Amino acid sequence: MQAEAKVVGARAIGSVGAYAPLMRLDREAAARALKFSGLGGRGIGRRAVAGWDEDPVTLGVEAARYTEGAPGAVVFASTSAPFFERLHATLIIDALALPSTTRARDVSGSRRCAVSALLDALLASGCTLVAAGERRPGRAGSPLHLSQGDGGAAALVAEEGAARLLGWASLSRDLVDIYASREHPEPYAYEERFVRDTTVSQVIAPTIRKALANAGLAGSDIQHAAVHEPVAGLWRDISKATGITAPNHASDVAAALGDLGAAHGLFGFALAAARAKPGERILLAGFGSGCDALVLEMTAPMPGAESAEDALARGLAFGDYVRFLSLNGALEMDWGVRSEFEQKAQATVIERYGRDMVGFIGGRDAAGNVQFPKSRIPVRPDAAGPEPMEDVRLADDPARIVSVTADRLNFTPDPPFWFGLTQFDNGARVMMEFTDADARGFSVGDRVRMRLRVKSHDQRRGFRTYFWKAAPAERPILGGP
Amino acid sequence: MARGIKDKVAIVGMGCTTFGEHWDKGPEDLIVDAFEEALADAKIARSDIQAAWMGNALDDINVGNSALPLAHALRLKAMPVSRVENMCATGSEALRAAVYAVAAGAVDFALALGVEKLKDTGYGGLPLRTKGLANDLWLPYGSAPGSFAQLAGAYAAKHRLNGDDLKRAMAHVSWKSHQNAVHNPRAHLRKAVDVETILKAPMIADPLGLYDCCGVSDGAAAAIITTPDIARGLGVANPVTVKAVQLSASHGWEMQYGAWDGSYVKNTQEAAKRAYAEAGVRDAASELSLTEVHDCFSITELVTMEDLGLSEEGRAPRDILDGRYDRTGAQPCQIDGGLKCFGHPVGASGLRMAYEVYTQLLGRAGGRQLDKVDLGLTHNLGGAPFNSVAAVSIFGRLN
Repeated sequence: MQAEAKVVGARAIGSVGAYAPLMRLDREAAARALKFSGLGGRGIGRRAVAGWDEDPVTLGVEAARYTEGAPGAVVFASTSAPFFERLHATLIIDALALPSTTRARDVSGSRRCAVSALLDALLASGCTLVAAGERRPGRAGSPLHLSQGDGGAAALVAEEGAARLLGWASLSRDLVDIYASREHPEPYAYEERFVRDTTVSQVIAPTIRKALANAGLAGSDIQHAAVHEPVAGLWRDISKATGITAPNHASDVAAALGDLGAAHGLFGFALAAARAKPGERILLAGFGSGCDALVLEMTAPMPGAESAEDALARGLAFGDYVRFLSLNGALEMDWGVRSEFEQKAQATVIERYGRDMVGFIGGRDAAGNVQFPKSRIPVRPDAAGPEPMEDVRLADDPARIVSVTADRLNFTPDPPFWFGLTQFDNGARVMMEFTDADARGFSVGDRVRMRLRVKSHDQRRGFRTYFWKAAPAERPILGGP
Repeated sequence: MARGIKDKVAIVGMGCTTFGEHWDKGPEDLIVDAFEEALADAKIARSDIQAAWMGNALDDINVGNSALPLAHALRLKAMPVSRVENMCATGSEALRAAVYAVAAGAVDFALALGVEKLKDTGYGGLPLRTKGLANDLWLPYGSAPGSFAQLAGAYAAKHRLNGDDLKRAMAHVSWKSHQNAVHNPRAHLRKAVDVETILKAPMIADPLGLYDCCGVSDGAAAAIITTPDIARGLGVANPVTVKAVQLSASHGWEMQYGAWDGSYVKNTQEAAKRAYAEAGVRDAASELSLTEVHDCFSITELVTMEDLGLSEEGRAPRDILDGRYDRTGAQPCQIDGGLKCFGHPVGASGLRMAYEVYTQLLGRAGGRQLDKVDLGLTHNLGGAPFNSVAAVSIFGRLN
């Protein structure tokens, strides 16, 4: 049943963020590796590949860090989030060091869920952060494995902002183009010709046309599109059916990073916002078990939007298909006896220290020295006894490397294991893991920035903990594929 | 006013097993072997021993907690026995306890025994920890080579050294220990290796290659401590005495406070300073006949030469390449092969170092005996450069 658009909400999109993992698999190289089988799909563009220590939560948090504002609620959207029972939005609140009074909600169930949550936030009251993250599992050889990608995107809805809602429409329809289930966690895809023929005519085009009508606009009034195509190349059909001749920036995301699932629509919107001028209109459409279409108008440059362009432009291309399979979990390697160590985390310990860890909260002692972690008696050499400590967040502070190594002995799912001593400009010093090494690796004196990552993954019990790792302050610029 | 323990205790017996892969022996066998040798050396009755400390670092593998495995293996009847643990400095910790007990006059004879049975893990290197607590939420779980490798980069950066030059000096450290171990029948690795092989070895943790790292071993070492008077009563006219035993441990300064540059080990410097004062050593570079230092990795030995004041700051690579610490050099280091080649059964290593100095002082070192041995130093380092326990001990003769 098609819903009627009644009112345009009094909220606006105030800022956005987009994040892609460092590694980009050249699909052409993957196609070469799969040539014997004739499987794998199109060998063009690249696929963003999450590091072993990235998951939907960390990807969503990294995107959300580009947004600006003080949300009263956080909605986390993903179809591949690690937990069924443990709220990811709460972890994100801790990771962003938001007040614990912030309302938290996870949404899932379809790729559309983030755009649906954004629409809800625009129609509701208060300031809401919608953060999406996706790291979907896949089976080697399936076309989806290479056409999908890993990444995060976020949008913050506030009373005032850079994009306002002119009209919208929603359609709920159980048209199953793909699905994933507890029994089959990797997305299962139905015949592509069926998807092409039905999704545009039955779901996407009617919803977009309805949204345009509700906004009192024609397709030609739209300058930018961020439409989540069910399969690559459908924008031409959608464009024809809706009269929108604008470029679809979500197609660029699919080509450069892959279909980002729940994060795709928001990522496409962030990219469109980066490329749009004030006064121009963006059509945002999320797809999956129906469609949500939003007509938005830019009123000012969008804070955080440049993160989307940056995410496309910077990264590290690679063609090692086996490494991709291993990183993605499609190939289970035998890492030897050293990988058999116990990684159990205790709830009691997480309860005592977890929020300071996920939020990267250190302490400033009575003399002003900053340290991590906090302690009753400060590490400052002239400290004579217990002192009060003021919370200091280290996640956004610049730092440099004091000492470093690439450890090839201890187990890590993507060797080598980089770690060393990190000196923050604010005085704090932390022994920490390094991540996102480029071809140069890490050296003493390098500037680094903090990224939230998976710290430990207890596969036996299906649990994970999160902490921050130091990554190069800047990523390399990607060349053309 | 404390006056230290110089010459307050004597070592009357020591034992040390062969270090290596003892597939045919459990920890209790190693304990018995080391102890029986020490007991025979001391020429006392086993019932003379009144207290014992067992050093064992890794309770996750084999020996287990408490010193009951020692009491069981040696059938020590109702004896006060304790297990001590201070990471890789555990052997020195056991010795320290026994020395203090005798120096305090609490007992006439005390036993210090270190044992580790590591080669049942099924892999090289130290056992992986199996307990997750608060530190696991943030602290990287790097390996021992990974932790010590960081000394190299920081040292090179501080002294503006080319990495290749530093690597060559590090290679000389390992080359020298392999040369020395050929003459030590109890060493784990008794094979000379040329410098080019060392330089080209597979990387373990940049820039430490395979030969920059000591392996880990099975083994045990033991010392029987008494007073110099009792030693003389046993017929030892000029017994080996303990001149100093000092320990310094991190309190977080290196890891958490922004002053350390990562290129040296603060606790080695602190422990050495106190040990020299306790022993009355004014110029270590000329007074010490030999040193047995904690060469868990080649870079550790290199910076230790400076931390102990044997090389001037920034000069260790030059001194090493000039052969100063070789067997034929002015101040031989690791004449027994060191951790690198004698081996590293963690809880036993501190006592193994003492065993070598004791053996050299008594002129019993056979093919590796040095000409003139008056004072010997042991340096036993636990943990990592950024979070360490350093034990420095000095041994000589009473007269």
